[in-house]
Amino acid sequence: MSKVYIIFASLLILVAFGLVLLPDTEHEDQIPPEALLKEIMNQSRFLSADLIAARIIDEDPSIMLVDVRTAEAYNSYSLPGAINIPLKETLDEEWQPYLNQRGVDVVFFSNGDLFADQAWILCSRLGYKNLYVMEGGLNQWFTQIMQPTVPPDTSPNEDFDLYSFRKAASIYFGGGAPAQSTQDIKGENIQIIRREKKTATAGGC
Amino acid sequence: MGPLIPLDIIPEQWNNVIAVIIGMAFGFIMEGSGFSSSRKIVGLFYGYDFTVLRVFFTATVTTAIGLYYFSYLGWIDMSLVYIHPTYLTAAIVGGLIMGVGFVAGGYCPGTSLIGAAIGRIDGMVFTLGLMIGIFFFSEGFSIFEGLYNGGFMGYITITEYFNISSQLFIFLFTVVAVAAFYFTTLIRRRVKQVNY
Repeated sequence: MSKVYIIFASLLILVAFGLVLLPDTEHEDQIPPEALLKEIMNQSRFLSADLIAARIIDEDPSIMLVDVRTAEAYNSYSLPGAINIPLKETLDEEWQPYLNQRGVDVVFFSNGDLFADQAWILCSRLGYKNLYVMEGGLNQWFTQIMQPTVPPDTSPNEDFDLYSFRKAASIYFGGGAPAQSTQDIKGENIQIIRREKKTATAGGC
Repeated sequence: MGPLIPLDIIPEQWNNVIAVIIGMAFGFIMEGSGFSSSRKIVGLFYGYDFTVLRVFFTATVTTAIGLYYFSYLGWIDMSLVYIHPTYLTAAIVGGLIMGVGFVAGGYCPGTSLIGAAIGRIDGMVFTLGLMIGIFFFSEGFSIFEGLYNGGFMGYITITEYFNISSQLFIFLFTVVAVAAFYFTTLIRRRVKQVNY
């Protein structure tokens, strides 16, 4: 038997024995703090209320709204189609299939940004993908979508387009947006001009 | 960091492309090791050539040791590595059929394709037989279904089943492999040499 074989065989056994001596290690499968900080600094996770309203109206199936407020708050008011995962239950086993998935954008929202963003950070640390936060939460939802304000006259056309979208969305979501047209029709007396009744033709022609 | 595809480091769409590339490399190395010759393969049964045993034992041991060192260094998450499910009855029956076919035909499915690819007639005949077998199995699947799904034990490994440490098992397996290398050398010396 050649020496090369003996050397290689001993090496193999030695390396395999080394494996037995290795201490057990528990590897943290969470993302390192540097990477998390980089993700937190990236603002692209914030979706505007307008964008979300448009996606709800379009019945976009690739969006999942997650209300991170308490169950009482969720029951009293929430966005249409939203599911309720209170912040303190974020890590519960039963919610993981909802949060950890591909193909659907998970959008967290609360009254403001804070709780939704905390849920976002927790899930990001778990390495979940496609996570978003609704910018400004339900407060912004109310000021922008449910009760939109008329832009000043000097605003560019885009603002008026956005305003008319918000008004339409407000009606869609059952808000109290003024449903009148933008043209001011106050102060004009509309004169109703009635046509005079024609007298019936009498006699033959 | 690994496994690369389940963790999306390599997109899932590349799965098949990578499979083809690895398959080509696998076929190339098998051919290079002489596995396109049915006489070399059945040499394992008749005791005049133990290349098959050596190649596969070395491959298994190297991979197992490598993977567990990778796991120790945090390069791969072993919990995400795919484990083929165990169907015990199907495995035993299939193993017997495969063993008989191996000795009788001189090829296993992969090597028969390699033999056919380099133009060996026995390889082509074996591949044809393979296709006929697949056809009858597929057509008669309703008959074989009970056997096919028989003895399902889930995604289980030997170390989990016997509740021993994987590292210890790999060490013992390595010792067995090296012992097998040694004893097959002894056997080969006693068996009449075959020229092929």
